[in-house]
Amino acid sequence: MTVSDTRPTPLLAMRGIRKQFSGVEVLRGVDLTLHSGEVLALLGENGAGKSTLMKILSGDYTRDAGEILLGGVPVEIASPRDAERAGIRIIYQELNAAPDLSVAENILMGRLPRRPGPLGALLVDWDTVYRRAGELLAALKAEIDPRQPMGSLSIGKQQIVEIAKALSGEARVLVMDEPTAALTQREVHLLFETIASLRAAGVGVIYISHRLDEVEQVAQRITVLRDGAVAGDTRMAELTRGDIVRMMVGRDVEQLYPARHTADGEDAAPILEVTGLTVPGAFADVTFAVHPGEIVGLYGLLGAGQADVLRALFGAASPSSGQIRMIGQTVTLRSPQDARRHGIGLVPEDRKGEGLVLGMSVAGNLTLGNWPAVARGGVLQGWREAERAAHWTERLGIRMSRDVRQEVGTLSGGNQQKVVLARWLEAGTRLLLLAEPTRGVDVGARADIYAAIDTLRAQGMGIVLVSSDIEELLGLSDRAFVFAGRRIVGEFDPSRTSQETLLAAASGAEGK
Amino acid sequence: MTENVVQNRLGRLNAQASLGLIGVYIILILTLSRLSPYFLSVNNFLNILLAVSTIGLIAVSMTMVIVSGGIDLSVGSVVALTGTVVAQLSHRMPIAAAVLIALLIGLTVGAFNGLAITRVGINPLIATLGTLSIARGLAFVFSGGLTQTIDNDAFGFLGRGFLLGVPFPVVVMLLLFLLFHGVMRGTVFGRSLYAIGGNAQASRLAGLSVSGLQIAVYLISGFSAALGGIFLSSQLGAGAPAAASGIELSVIAAVILGGTSLSGGKGTIGGTLLGVLILGTLNNGLTLLNVSSYYQEVARGAVLLLAVGLDQLRLRLGTRTRRG
Repeated sequence: MTVSDTRPTPLLAMRGIRKQFSGVEVLRGVDLTLHSGEVLALLGENGAGKSTLMKILSGDYTRDAGEILLGGVPVEIASPRDAERAGIRIIYQELNAAPDLSVAENILMGRLPRRPGPLGALLVDWDTVYRRAGELLAALKAEIDPRQPMGSLSIGKQQIVEIAKALSGEARVLVMDEPTAALTQREVHLLFETIASLRAAGVGVIYISHRLDEVEQVAQRITVLRDGAVAGDTRMAELTRGDIVRMMVGRDVEQLYPARHTADGEDAAPILEVTGLTVPGAFADVTFAVHPGEIVGLYGLLGAGQADVLRALFGAASPSSGQIRMIGQTVTLRSPQDARRHGIGLVPEDRKGEGLVLGMSVAGNLTLGNWPAVARGGVLQGWREAERAAHWTERLGIRMSRDVRQEVGTLSGGNQQKVVLARWLEAGTRLLLLAEPTRGVDVGARADIYAAIDTLRAQGMGIVLVSSDIEELLGLSDRAFVFAGRRIVGEFDPSRTSQETLLAAASGAEGK
Repeated sequence: MTENVVQNRLGRLNAQASLGLIGVYIILILTLSRLSPYFLSVNNFLNILLAVSTIGLIAVSMTMVIVSGGIDLSVGSVVALTGTVVAQLSHRMPIAAAVLIALLIGLTVGAFNGLAITRVGINPLIATLGTLSIARGLAFVFSGGLTQTIDNDAFGFLGRGFLLGVPFPVVVMLLLFLLFHGVMRGTVFGRSLYAIGGNAQASRLAGLSVSGLQIAVYLISGFSAALGGIFLSSQLGAGAPAAASGIELSVIAAVILGGTSLSGGKGTIGGTLLGVLILGTLNNGLTLLNVSSYYQEVARGAVLLLAVGLDQLRLRLGTRTRRG
């Protein structure tokens, strides 16, 4: 599948890169070529070697074998400083910002301009700092005040600041690791415009993403890694999405989303009824219901209120007016414990920060809080725990390298998410709140998670889904509500709604 | 898939680390028994155990505190405060009542710590630094700065008595280690402490009462510090307001040496027992070898840094590999 390239010298060439950790080969002779003015999508499932390859490029790791050429000249990248000097910039998925410093200081960190004069080396020239930062942000068409503290910005805007930071020096190669994971649709659009202008300026961009629709939009060429080797290196135009997925996974993934089912729960009494619910400053007058076996999607741009509805339903926000009814009973939810008691479970957006105790075993995470199933009189019964854990790992197809006693942090993102799901299943949850259930999860695992969600639905659980991935929201939901300006502006039937319609409604155009 | 193999190896490496600590202890014992003819005897080991009994008592609960993601600096002061209170009250009321009041004082300090940390939101280090000072001050206030003797044979048994040839404080310490080993490994309470120490937010969202658990942990810590104060004053036959000063640092050192992570979520009672034994044995051996007590302090510090340093190195190697 290799394309013979007739263009002269590539901007960046990595040849035969090998790397092993404790005797295990993670990269087995990987080639990667990037031309100037090109966006190369680097794809592969978690653990395929993408991050390791990029960390070799950034100088975080040293390679065992192979060479790196910049503009045809071999270069030695032994430290992040070497990479920086060579004009290689990496924007990581996890932001590395100093939240209490200003936007401008974050952008120019380590390169703050000094004043002239004898003591100049000690004194920061603040006027220049703010002006330079302002110019960089203006070039990205971002409306961000460089004097604002970084921590006061939304994640999306922080991402833009990170890009400005990466561009503040002479950047020749820019690596973006899942840059859109936390961005709203509008911000994604802005990012793509930025990338286009970078291309025009001759910068080469390596774009890592799990979202294939974005990759199709932004990249000219893709390189796919599988198990530490190149599984494909092709021009974008020559591929269908099925081809890409097959290269990544090594097999056909027939259908990402579960088949649509006939809504038979509609007649049954609703599990959840929310009436006129208002949390001051978060959302107002929200009314909807969830029936057994139904997935209700809530969509909106970042900060439109849909995420706060989940928080309120899990006892983390106090409504000033309105009602929440669970199975016909009015309930007051003051804490996650209250929510749990009423049969409500939450799969939080930040899986590692809020969903799991990473250093604890798979079994321990699965049974966390589900004490009646595994303990008698406060004493844990190891065999019960092992039995419950075995039951759920098999039921949801949770893949582990050893067994349920291994640390949950060693599992892949998709399998970690299934552990969180299993915990709420074990708890006998009737209403499950899902926040961005597949963020940062690769295609193969996504299909698995969707299947797991569908299993829960089929059992009669009610599900509320909040996702910024429109395709996912439409693919999974039975009904979708769109939020704009902290209110519900419309209800849609996902099987008859296009992504554009939903987006238009969320962007403030008239909902029906 | 390759990632998983790497992690498998890391798992084995972790198991090797606790074996490493046992190895260190065995080497220490072998070295000391070659260097000193008096070292290797049953009596000397009972001496070591008796010498570490106060530290050991408190190290058990300190392990729980640190595993749950907190820290308790007030324990040394609570030892002194409860010791002086028992000594003062022993002349005015039945000794049992005095002991009861001392235990209540320990619980009160624990409750105060717990509430300050969970309800007011004061950082555990600061909150217990405050009560460290308050409790020590109160010990001086109650005693007028004087050491008060205790004349009571029954009370003397606590610190100086023997049960089947074993010093009573040692029996109590070992029973507590056993009890809390069971609690941490096999109960919902122990499991919950590991969970909140590992990730408080995730535990809260899983429906655990994080603040309730934290308060419980500081209550236990205050109680066992009071127990330490009672045993120490019985052992000394007196309550001294300056007693056990700085003991909290020795206790934390033993816990950390035993492999408990200061950031919470990791650690075992068995490891703490090893940590306590290693530090106690080191002290004992150096004394037998007539090493000046000044150098003993230096040696203690060096051992702690060495053990924790090696552990950090291992961790760093681990995460570097894991990110691959």
